Amino acid sequence: MSTARSRGRGTRHRVLRVLAAGEAGVILALVILCVTFQLIQPAFGSAADVRAILSALSYLGIISVGQIILLIGGEFDLSVGSTAGLSAIVAADLMAHHDIPVAVAVLGGLLVGALIGLVNGVVVVRLRIPAFIATLGMLFVAQGATQVITDGQPIYPLPQVVSDIGQATPLFGLGWSFAFFVVVAILGDLFLRVTVPGRTMYAVGGNPVVARLSGVRVERYKIGAFVLSGTLAAAGGLFLMGNLGSGTTSIGQGWELLVIAGVVVGGVSLFGGVGSVVGGAVGMLLLQVVQSGLVVVGISPNWQTIAVGSIMVLAVGLDVWRRRLPDTEPTEQPTATAAASAPAPEAADRAATGET
Amino acid sequence: MTDRPALRVTDVVKSFGSTTVLKGVSLELEPGSIHGLLGQNGAGKSTLVKIMTGVHGAGSFTGVVQVDGSTVQLTRPQDARQLGIGYVPQEIDVVEHLTVTENVLVGDLGSGLRFDRRAADRRCRTLLDQLGMTIAPRTRVSVLSAAQRQLLMIARALALTPKVLILDEPTTSLTDTEAVALGHILRRLAATGLGILYITHRVREVLDLCDGATVLRDGRVVEQLSRSDLTADRIVTAMAGRQVRDLFPGRRYPGGRTALSVRNLGVRPARGSSARVEDVSFDVHQGEILGIAGLLGAGRSELLAGVFGAVPRTGTVTVGGREVRPGHPRHARSAGIGMLTEERKRTGLLFNMSALRNITIGSLGSVSHRGFLDFAGERRVGRRVIGDLEVKTPGIHSSVEHLSGGNQQKLLIGRTLLPEPSVILLDEPTKGVDVGTRAQIYRLVNTLAERGAALVVVSSELDELLGMCDRFLVLAAGRLVDEFTKGDGSEQRILASIARVTPADEAITT
Repeated sequence: MSTARSRGRGTRHRVLRVLAAGEAGVILALVILCVTFQLIQPAFGSAADVRAILSALSYLGIISVGQIILLIGGEFDLSVGSTAGLSAIVAADLMAHHDIPVAVAVLGGLLVGALIGLVNGVVVVRLRIPAFIATLGMLFVAQGATQVITDGQPIYPLPQVVSDIGQATPLFGLGWSFAFFVVVAILGDLFLRVTVPGRTMYAVGGNPVVARLSGVRVERYKIGAFVLSGTLAAAGGLFLMGNLGSGTTSIGQGWELLVIAGVVVGGVSLFGGVGSVVGGAVGMLLLQVVQSGLVVVGISPNWQTIAVGSIMVLAVGLDVWRRRLPDTEPTEQPTATAAASAPAPEAADRAATGET
Repeated sequence: MTDRPALRVTDVVKSFGSTTVLKGVSLELEPGSIHGLLGQNGAGKSTLVKIMTGVHGAGSFTGVVQVDGSTVQLTRPQDARQLGIGYVPQEIDVVEHLTVTENVLVGDLGSGLRFDRRAADRRCRTLLDQLGMTIAPRTRVSVLSAAQRQLLMIARALALTPKVLILDEPTTSLTDTEAVALGHILRRLAATGLGILYITHRVREVLDLCDGATVLRDGRVVEQLSRSDLTADRIVTAMAGRQVRDLFPGRRYPGGRTALSVRNLGVRPARGSSARVEDVSFDVHQGEILGIAGLLGAGRSELLAGVFGAVPRTGTVTVGGREVRPGHPRHARSAGIGMLTEERKRTGLLFNMSALRNITIGSLGSVSHRGFLDFAGERRVGRRVIGDLEVKTPGIHSSVEHLSGGNQQKLLIGRTLLPEPSVILLDEPTKGVDVGTRAQIYRLVNTLAERGAALVVVSSELDELLGMCDRFLVLAAGRLVDEFTKGDGSEQRILASIARVTPADEAITT
């Protein structure tokens, strides 16, 4: 009909596509946010501010890497917060009440995380209980176990070396937790991008039936991703314990939803097979920036969760919208393709009615 | 009254784009009769039914549709329903966790906010009685058998007190005994004055049940048979017609060593299906193309899935003298078996991945070093496959979602062939594929056989199967009922050997 109009639409689509496309979109959104906050309140973006944002990000960020890989494999884990809490408590209990060397106690904490992940994986994959239910159950179980061990009391004091490490600031005023987050995020991103098992994970999350027919042991991949998620959740909890210098029962509370919200903002699909660690991590950062930024520009902290919720829905909405846009990429031989597929309607009808 | 047919279509012509699917079809359905509508896939049955049920609305075709003697304009499916045309689709479409009543009266549960459950149950009871069903209206549908669900679908159509009932392959998911029972019920319904159009490609059912039959082929009516003319011979001949041999490259199978050996294969039916495989044994040789014929639900796809290890199986599968472990397709794959599945969207394409990644997903070992992907190597492989198979895609990194059916299929064939399997299983390789690509697929299959691969092909299109393959197995109800080599048989032989499996035989074996 009108070429001008269709060209205009094409441009609009392209702009939307870039805006909404996984990583580019979320990075752009992050930049816009930072600039906006900076304009409103020049104090935003000070070294102290950035440090505060990144420190706060590191614990959840570590956990998000496991969650991202798990989501790409087509499952998800609601128990990461409780797992972080229980692992920290177990490690704290071992070192404070049982005279276990700190290194061994920390390994014990990590092992708890890995075991919780394994149980989640086995329950979901072998017993075929949906991840939502299985890991929601685990959320309560781990939370309960934390209460049983501590009877609600923080475990204190921990050996001095714990706080020494947990409160050290080896990198520009940032702690080991941030360094660990950066390393894990880079490794996670490379795993998904350049390794065979990483690529396979996308297939598993994209369509497990197809993956299986392609020779993939789908169950192993899923269970492995659950174990990774549990272990990294434990690591996040242990770092926070170190920073606090005590085994507090509130470690990890509410983290699961913040992690899922963040990675979803970063373009990781809840339906599996789509996303990247970089995107998810930037999404996490974006939420953190929003929360800190609102405080810096003088908006009541009570508004923070409202912002987080709205942004998450908006991000997913943009993603859904982007998927609905027709493919604007030009085909090499559109006419030939159209002509060749012309005799197919009867076949298409058949496919639609299920007749073969 | 007999001069006023319940439903009549005259000179219906329907095109999609430049393709004419119905080329002047006329058909009459008398009240109180059961009329068979036969034809192979692609003959135009579905399109004709869609015109009669208002799916293809008035204006999208030429020709006249008359109900009870008066010309009607069906623009939407609702119009057809209001005019008394009831339709029972092929797929059983019930909501498992709802009751029988809720399923039967769906969309017609009375007006207003209040749902009068008792009145609805009473109405449902009357409908069930018409069908001779004794189940309680409050029964949950999840406990019903496939046959009961099929009757429930008919009850749903009867709820609108139609004058015409169109049944699309109603026996697909039924055992033969159940099919016979359904036949009795349909006869009783017809006796009340209902005109029934019975779509099928099972010749046997038409002979047993119908008062007349219309055979479609390539969008034309090739036979209109009255009760006295109904013979298996005439129907089969009309359905098969002349053959389109030109599409197939001429070939002669030279004979080769046994590549795949299957003994006593058994596959249990999946949930909600009756298709199974029982005690099937056969060999395929290097350079040979074996065709598997049979009706929908005869166990053809299950046979391939069983050999590939995609579903649990009993019996043994041997490739090159070594037994292949069951349980997971990876065992079959490492033994050199490759498989192309029938349903591209559900079991083939990965919509979250690019065309390139869809091709290489089954062969990542060959495009990587020590677990790390070799992107340049992967692109080379992908470009080669796309070039060799002439896949038309905007680029190797574009989505597979918007490719045409034929190009999607070529992409998946590329994936299947990439590990260079010595045994290749193809399930409906030309389903939903345009004519040009079909010919290309036939040539490809031929080339693969010439290079020494052993191929097993399932196709619902007998023409195609007979043109492509060297030897044939005929399956009916999961069992091997006939086997012959090229030249020893024809469409007629296949259809006849399927028809020979009588309900009585079946009743004994199940």
